[in-house]
Amino acid sequence: MNARAERRAWIFGTTAPALVFLLVIAYLPIAYAVMLSFFKKTAFNPAMTWVGLANYRYILEEPELWNAFWRSVVFTLGAVGLQLVWGLLSALLLNRAFRGLNFVRSLFVLPYLLPSIVVALVFQWLLSQEYGVVNQVLMQTGVVTRPINFFGGLATAMWSVIGMAGWQYGSFATLLILARLQAINPKLYEAAAVSGAGTLRAFWDVTLPNLRTTLIVIALLRGIWMFNKFDSIWLVTHGGPLKATETLPLYAYRLAFEEFDFGLAAAACTVMFVVLLAGAVVYFKLFDPTREIEVGR
Amino acid sequence: MSRLRAYGPFALLLVVLVLVAFPFYWMVLTSFTPREALFRPPYRFVRLDLSLGNYRELLFATEFVRYFANSLIAAVGAIVLNVIAATLAGYGLTRFAFPGKKTFAFGTLFSYMFPPMLMAIPLYILFSALKMRNTYTGLILAHMAISLPLNIWLMWQYFQIVPPSLEEAAWVSGASRLRALGQVCLPSARPGILSVAIFSFALSWNDFTFAFLLQTDRKMFTLPVGLATFVEQTGVHWGMVMAAAVLVSVPTFLLVFFLQRYLLSGLRTAG
Repeated sequence: MNARAERRAWIFGTTAPALVFLLVIAYLPIAYAVMLSFFKKTAFNPAMTWVGLANYRYILEEPELWNAFWRSVVFTLGAVGLQLVWGLLSALLLNRAFRGLNFVRSLFVLPYLLPSIVVALVFQWLLSQEYGVVNQVLMQTGVVTRPINFFGGLATAMWSVIGMAGWQYGSFATLLILARLQAINPKLYEAAAVSGAGTLRAFWDVTLPNLRTTLIVIALLRGIWMFNKFDSIWLVTHGGPLKATETLPLYAYRLAFEEFDFGLAAAACTVMFVVLLAGAVVYFKLFDPTREIEVGR
Repeated sequence: MSRLRAYGPFALLLVVLVLVAFPFYWMVLTSFTPREALFRPPYRFVRLDLSLGNYRELLFATEFVRYFANSLIAAVGAIVLNVIAATLAGYGLTRFAFPGKKTFAFGTLFSYMFPPMLMAIPLYILFSALKMRNTYTGLILAHMAISLPLNIWLMWQYFQIVPPSLEEAAWVSGASRLRALGQVCLPSARPGILSVAIFSFALSWNDFTFAFLLQTDRKMFTLPVGLATFVEQTGVHWGMVMAAAVLVSVPTFLLVFFLQRYLLSGLRTAG
């Protein structure tokens, strides 16, 4: 074998497995969903009938898709906003040298890496109407007179889900922000102090500009993920009560597995994909993370 | 006022720490609380009448062990395939120049953003046709869809800090490329490979969506899917549910407290 052929064989042999897996298991299903969205296909009938844009016409004219879309927006803005506020606040508080910082760091990684099922079960238990310890404390301190039905109440379900997502993912934002805070040159603060800036002024002029990129990355990536979050929401509310927490992925799930219409579900999936694509384009335009690879380290 | 300035941040810090830590504390405490006590609120925040009854019931009166085994099989399969595919790709992408690399980078990162539900619905239909639902192979493949993009990215970055000069030295002394890869390059890439294994494990272990859609046969349930059924019955046995939550979290605790240095490189990538 000559050197050129050998080189080719190496390139092919090393990259092909990853490429094939990515194409078959990630890209093919999405392509299939897009294709399926132009067909009538139900769970009981293996036949597929071309219906053109009928599925889109149906779901785009129904208020349900739009309701789900706006719930996704509310959930995303709420959860991401909470994560940023919580992350920023707790990172600022933690940004000092103290014994046990390493332990605290580990503690803050935990919620992020915990299976969603664990977080969902623990929050259902903490916030249970009958036996929840949160209601117990609220009652004992006289904040409320009747226990709150956090995940089951029309007015509270969405906020409770947002709070849970904030807890699970917010503490990880803390760590990212903290790492960035500790990389800020202390001379900048000295300079600010010399020119007479108070704590607030220094925060505004030094801290925030330095955190800008980190905050934008968190907001964008988290936004993309929260918009399409299924497991956390499904596990605690199943989209209820009365669809109050039925976001887009839960809507797509319902179309596929409760109404057994795969064509409609595929159309809903395609709508999700378009939103994802828009987010990804913004992210890649702003950051081009692939540059890192070419420049190397 | 000056006292507020001095102690205010510490008081706030304490509140933050309690908010993060309390759910864990309550989960563990509940799991050791006898069943009778859990039906009689109000609860005490500290208690000493602890028991292992919930754990005993979980292990001997439910399918927990079976779910555990299923989860473990899926995770091990995902680890093996991820390590092979990601390591090879990382090596190839850093050691050779060829057209299409940038597209590959974009394609990898983009697929990292794909939400499980978007892939799970079409996979359900495809796997139904292929008779791959309720199989380990199907679930392992599905789990690769969530972990492989991140892992390719990790190894791509990792092989850049393994200097090619090490391998070149081996070639000079007569080793073939394959031998140099196996004996020089892979050992120096070991921390990266370990990170890949950890992430493959965690993402597979944590997955609910794929397993929920694809594994509909009770015998094939993974832990997250099995545990979700525990709270769907009436009269939820919270002590036992929390015992299950504790046991499912044990691997996560071990990873975070013992292998954190391997986690951090990946978490930075994960954003």
